[in-house]
Amino acid sequence: MSFLFPLAAKSAWNRRYTLGLMLLAIALSSAMLLGIERVRHEVRDGFTQSVSGTDLVVGARTSPVQLMLYAIFRIGGATNNMGWDSALKLAKNPAVAWTIPLSLGDSHRGFPVLATNFDYFRHFHYGDGQALQMAEGREFADVFETVIGAEVAQRLHYRVGDHIVLSHGMGSMHLTDHADKPFVITGILARTGTPVDRTVHIGLDAMEAIHLDWEGGAPMPGLTIKAAQVKKFNLTPKTITAVLVGLKNRAAVFGVQRDIGDDSSEPLMAVLPGVALDELWQVVGVGENALLVVSGMVVIVGLAGLVSAILASLGERRRELAVLRSVGARPFDIFLLLALEGLAVMLAGVILGVILLTLALLALGPFLSAQFGVTLHPALPAAGELTLLLWTILAGFVASLLPGLRAYRLSLADGLTPRL
Amino acid sequence: MKSITWISGIIGAGLLVGYSLRLAATPAMPVTAPPAAVSADNGQYKVGDHLQQNPDLVATPYKPSVNSDASYKEIAWESLIPKDWDAMKPFKGLKLDKLQDDDPRAEEALWKAKQYWKNAPIDPSMDGKAIRIPGFVVSLEREGEALKEFLLVPYFGACIHVPPPPANQIIHVHSAKAVKDIRTMDAVWINGVLKVDHSDTLMGSAGYSMTSIKVEPYLDKSTQ
Repeated sequence: MSFLFPLAAKSAWNRRYTLGLMLLAIALSSAMLLGIERVRHEVRDGFTQSVSGTDLVVGARTSPVQLMLYAIFRIGGATNNMGWDSALKLAKNPAVAWTIPLSLGDSHRGFPVLATNFDYFRHFHYGDGQALQMAEGREFADVFETVIGAEVAQRLHYRVGDHIVLSHGMGSMHLTDHADKPFVITGILARTGTPVDRTVHIGLDAMEAIHLDWEGGAPMPGLTIKAAQVKKFNLTPKTITAVLVGLKNRAAVFGVQRDIGDDSSEPLMAVLPGVALDELWQVVGVGENALLVVSGMVVIVGLAGLVSAILASLGERRRELAVLRSVGARPFDIFLLLALEGLAVMLAGVILGVILLTLALLALGPFLSAQFGVTLHPALPAAGELTLLLWTILAGFVASLLPGLRAYRLSLADGLTPRL
Repeated sequence: MKSITWISGIIGAGLLVGYSLRLAATPAMPVTAPPAAVSADNGQYKVGDHLQQNPDLVATPYKPSVNSDASYKEIAWESLIPKDWDAMKPFKGLKLDKLQDDDPRAEEALWKAKQYWKNAPIDPSMDGKAIRIPGFVVSLEREGEALKEFLLVPYFGACIHVPPPPANQIIHVHSAKAVKDIRTMDAVWINGVLKVDHSDTLMGSAGYSMTSIKVEPYLDKSTQ
């Protein structure tokens, strides 16, 4: 039996170009399958890691998913703001342990600006309940001070003590800068792998201050309020975008949610982050499955290529197989030879696919992370991915039995009968 | 030659179908989960639906089981309400049939009753009991795709459409092992030791919590 292995290897080496092409087709299709599964997994992971310990997200009435998307993930925009007095009232609710006010809308060179207060650094948690940590410097204390995320610092090469200018709105154009009121960076947050990394944090009072001379909706000609004078004004915010709420007892969440929804002074909405995310996955899941099915089809096409290539090679191997039979190989040995080859090609193809994907992730990872906020780590296939790969190999093996079967039946008669 | 075409056609089609099915099912159900996980979809429940349990359970109070392999005794949600708590107390002294239609006193009593029901007490004697109970999941915290912390409530749609269940009808569950493929409003059975949190006597702070030992999909008896 063991004589088959070197024989199969030598025969394969003889046909290395055809086999090489097949290998590439399988590698590419399995890399695609694995890549889609990886992206799906990492996106979900990224979303669930972004918030932890927050029981409710409160904001103006909109879709729960949308509120989550902009309050936590900074995707999309707020449809409406909520009153500051409602936020204060919420903080006084006896079931509430802490609140974090959030105000969004401005940006700095494409990175979102988040106005909040000290409670953010104290109570905001991500991942498995980790708190935010300063990599450098300290939290903001004065009006025109800012704390930036790790990604912002790295991409724009900022250090503590640098001065930056915020822009009005979310564009990366510099047409509507708050150029008269620059901010000084007082701290850089440690990397979290969440949207916090891409955020510029300022105080709620700073958000008011930079918009003092914007009361008409645009900077009014002739009206300028100098940065040094802003403290003369009342910098208490009138509206904010959302409030993150932590409760003393998580089981009380429905009651508090009800209280907020029933509040007659302002129409508000409270969303359980976990429930909103489940809703999001239900919507996204359809697209994910479609993608996965498409990549499955690609694998099937790859397998069909494998089968047809082996079948075609039977023609050129007629003599080879017949000679083998004539020197004593049983039909079953021929069958085994071909099955072995199919399995080896599948295995090598899939391994090559994993390597290809890893290389692609290494090369494209930083780009994807910057462009889409999806961090893809080159890693060994996880359990779910492994089963996917095993199924691919199994399917390929079964498919390659087909040419083996044909060779099993035809090898002797076909090869030894000269047909010229 | 003809038979080869046939065989290849059949195998090819089989592979295609099997693979697509496999792929379609993959995100919802990795190999570790029993096939039953799929059928526990929430499509079959309506808002306000309770999960079917033996009606006798409601009447019988909790008794610890002596049988070791069934040490987690199935209980009804009603067992979590103290026996001596009277749900109709706000209506005491109010003869409903003697009142006129649209009587303001009935309205007032109903308003009081709402507050009374909302603050329904927990049963301290349930502390430390090993129980098994079915309910609907409301996701709180995940670890990647797996759920590790959730609330268990007795009826479907408990979070949005109807007034929230009182504190004694919510169990705050920490799963000992993060469970995959459970979404909000999926029906599950949980096994675990019930704990009564006294930490705080402020509004809505007392309640039941549990570290679940086992979480498994709930299967309707009729579909089994």
